[in-house]
Amino acid sequence: MKTFQKLGQMPIGLTVPALALLLVIFGIPIIHLFLNSINAPAFSATNYYKFFGQPANVRVLFQTIEVSVVATAICLIVGYPTAYLIVTASRSLRITLIALVIIPYLTSGLARTYAWIVILGDRGVINNVLVHLGVIHSPLQLIYNTMAVYIGMVHIMLPLMILPLVSAMMGIDRSLMAAARSMGARPLTAFWRVFFPLSLPGVRSGSLLVFVFCLGFYITPAALGGLRDAMLSTFIAGQVASSFDIPRIATSAFILLAIAVAVLSMLGLDLAGAQGRAPTPARKSWVARLPIFGLLKRYFSEFLSPYRAKLWTTQLYQAGDNSSLSNIVGPLFVLLVMVYLLSPGLIVIIMSFSAGAFLEFPPSGLSLQWYRSFFGDPSWNGAAWTSIQIGVAVAILSTIVGTLAAYGLNRTHPRLRGLLTMAILTPVTIPVIVVGIATYLGLVNLGLIGSTTGIVLAQSLGAIGIVVVIVSATLANFDRTLEQAAKSMRASPLQTFMRVTLPLIRPGVIGGAVFAFLHSFDELVITSLVSGYSIRTLPLKMWENIRNQIDPTIAAVSALLMLVPVLWLIVLYLTWWRSRPRDHHSLRELAT
Amino acid sequence: MSFWINRRRFMQATSSAIAVGALSSVVRPASAQSSGELRVTVGGGDVGKATIEAYVKPFEAETGIKVTPITDDANTGQIELMVKSSNVTLDVAYLSQGAALTLAGKGLLENIDYSIHKKDELDGIFDFAKQPFGIASLIYSFNMVYNTEAFPASKPRPMTWADFWDVEKFPGIRTMVSGQYGSEGPWEEALLADGVPADQLYPMDIDRIFASLDKIKPHIRKWWGTGSEVQQLLHDKAVDVAQSYDGRALRLIDQGAPVEINRNQAKLQWDYWVIPKAGPNMQNAQKWIEFVTRADRQAAFTQLFPEGPTNRNAFKLIPDEVARKLPTHPEYMKSCVSMKGQWYNDIGPDGLTNTDKLIQRWNEWVLQ
Repeated sequence: MKTFQKLGQMPIGLTVPALALLLVIFGIPIIHLFLNSINAPAFSATNYYKFFGQPANVRVLFQTIEVSVVATAICLIVGYPTAYLIVTASRSLRITLIALVIIPYLTSGLARTYAWIVILGDRGVINNVLVHLGVIHSPLQLIYNTMAVYIGMVHIMLPLMILPLVSAMMGIDRSLMAAARSMGARPLTAFWRVFFPLSLPGVRSGSLLVFVFCLGFYITPAALGGLRDAMLSTFIAGQVASSFDIPRIATSAFILLAIAVAVLSMLGLDLAGAQGRAPTPARKSWVARLPIFGLLKRYFSEFLSPYRAKLWTTQLYQAGDNSSLSNIVGPLFVLLVMVYLLSPGLIVIIMSFSAGAFLEFPPSGLSLQWYRSFFGDPSWNGAAWTSIQIGVAVAILSTIVGTLAAYGLNRTHPRLRGLLTMAILTPVTIPVIVVGIATYLGLVNLGLIGSTTGIVLAQSLGAIGIVVVIVSATLANFDRTLEQAAKSMRASPLQTFMRVTLPLIRPGVIGGAVFAFLHSFDELVITSLVSGYSIRTLPLKMWENIRNQIDPTIAAVSALLMLVPVLWLIVLYLTWWRSRPRDHHSLRELAT
Repeated sequence: MSFWINRRRFMQATSSAIAVGALSSVVRPASAQSSGELRVTVGGGDVGKATIEAYVKPFEAETGIKVTPITDDANTGQIELMVKSSNVTLDVAYLSQGAALTLAGKGLLENIDYSIHKKDELDGIFDFAKQPFGIASLIYSFNMVYNTEAFPASKPRPMTWADFWDVEKFPGIRTMVSGQYGSEGPWEEALLADGVPADQLYPMDIDRIFASLDKIKPHIRKWWGTGSEVQQLLHDKAVDVAQSYDGRALRLIDQGAPVEINRNQAKLQWDYWVIPKAGPNMQNAQKWIEFVTRADRQAAFTQLFPEGPTNRNAFKLIPDEVARKLPTHPEYMKSCVSMKGQWYNDIGPDGLTNTDKLIQRWNEWVLQ
């Protein structure tokens, strides 16, 4: 208790558990690997010269950055309006939509990639329909090109963009928008100058997660792309498979890490965002930059604002919404995004009932044989049980450690915060194979290879990063005066945290826990290294299956993975959301 | 995920008879090992099931040694980490030719104790299969496979790799294996298509390989990375003619797909049983390798999973209809090329192996 109080006074202390875990399991070995890449103790940059000496490496490096930036941009362009519309929807609709966004994220990435092959392929759903309708005679080349890579990557990454945005936007006090409108701001201006700046922490953390994950993408570009659509991870995979030359692999990995650091510092690493809650100084549009236009605009604005303010008050008391266009466009947009997000999963579910021995769409016949094959086979259901246990342990550990770290980071000096955030995010930034090698070396030192504890610790590294990003986004909009108020009423720091802070940042914490669990549930590369051939998790079993016989068991497992969380969310909704007396918006209104 | 994607070649054939219960892999921590045990990777899917039936169970019955079959592939990276960190949790692994040679070159594998093998068994085993670091476990092949609807018997069919390159005479959508891993790629086929005689392939001329690949590049719809990928492409009829593993095509044929394997100019590849250095159950591991290279065991395995035995005596025990599915059937062997793993691992004056050079050239070539 005392230590906790002390930690509470020294916010940076809260990051200690996360950093200690990171250092022991990952930090020391990764420093070792870095020394390896510069040929310590001789110290030379030979490996780096060699890397840049190959024109293909340089070109694929730029290509990797380009693909990641474009994919992140698409995710943001699609994800931002979606998140906005989700947040502004009624509460029950909002919960449904959030669930619908999470569901595709639960499907195995491999199964989803197969679903896209089924949809886009030369003999796929789209081509078959078009040929059947007589629109085209020979199949369109929808697959094995860059477009298909983006379709697949954005599909996998979009939930990771939308959810941090939603959790940041939920924390925005909507009365600020109303205040702006009441003072004559047009809806767009109110959005652009009030809401958007406040949602920036969500934009940042979403973009950061997506960009960083995209850098390491490999399977999807390989399966959906053409020959040219190589990523740096493709090259690293080649090196790993051929010679396992650790210095060379480490060199490629550190170059990728350097890119990530460079781009992230441009994006702004400061996840905590503006703490003062004041909208950032007016963002100038290009129109405003031209002096004459600026003058005219200001003149008309001044002239019109009393009128708009009056109009707003009349609108406020109008029963319905007057804009029929936005009434159609918004829901239509959300509908399209949901179709895009959910149709591959739907196809996977349908394929799981196939009577044939292959993934086929439409299936040649219906049967439950692949579900029987899952439940009847101890190697499948045993692996699933192992994965659930590990996933829960990872979620608990990383949510506690990650939330503390995010809380601590939120209260430290911005410059230090950026540095520490980067350190905590390293395990999700650099190629997973390098994390795997480093973690392996770290766990060997602890004698934890082939143990459940070892796997939990290894998977928690990445999961903590995810929790920190998501919780930080929520904390950025957290009004700290509430804590001060609680403390002024003689609440202890722990009480303040448990009674005030935690309930307010709960959406972020729960989001973080869910993603931590999913991260663990989907983790393959690191797990297979540190499992030491002793522990079989579900992804390991799925990966074995998909390499060997692509039978629809994989579809059945994916379908179950989608359905189980849906049930879980329904239970959660019925027991928890319903019983909550009021959400934090009203609480904040009370407080301010 | 990228780690093991080149471990492919598996298939499911006539193995439905195998009991489902046999494939559960018993999980136990590494520390629970004692001298009476053995941990072996047996491969995933049906190759794993067949290995358990044909090798694991009879081995346990004969020796009383408790075997823990790990139904997955071993990988070089993990074995290197295990040996270097003195934390070996695996007694026997089977690895592709290239992987085994790489590890052997780094001194991470035990030598095989040939003194415990019977002479008549050893005489039956192909010479290339008997290496100081390992004995080949099974032989599989890369073949040309075509769709019989696109190439019916009434019309000329592509029979050589030169035909495959001839897109005017044999129009159709094509797929070949990706060369991103270097150790396996369309290299030998490119040279054969360019007119290099089969017995003069090695040492391979890398410039000539890529000059030949330049010609076929615009006509390849997809350079596949995993066996399941080419299997799906053939199954969906998305391609008319493919370079594919024989096992993947056999599985499709068994299920009635209209595909046929062209055995001419097939490329033979094989895996080795190897023993990671300083494992805890060395003697049992040696016994295992002696056991699984016996002709009668290989014959039993082949009937569960039709890939070529490395012990020629096994053919005496295999019925002809099964033998005809095997890439090492004496009739097919006449027109085959064998992959020469040693060439891939030869190190040039620049310190790079030929595999490294192939990867570098491939990486440049794909971006051109």
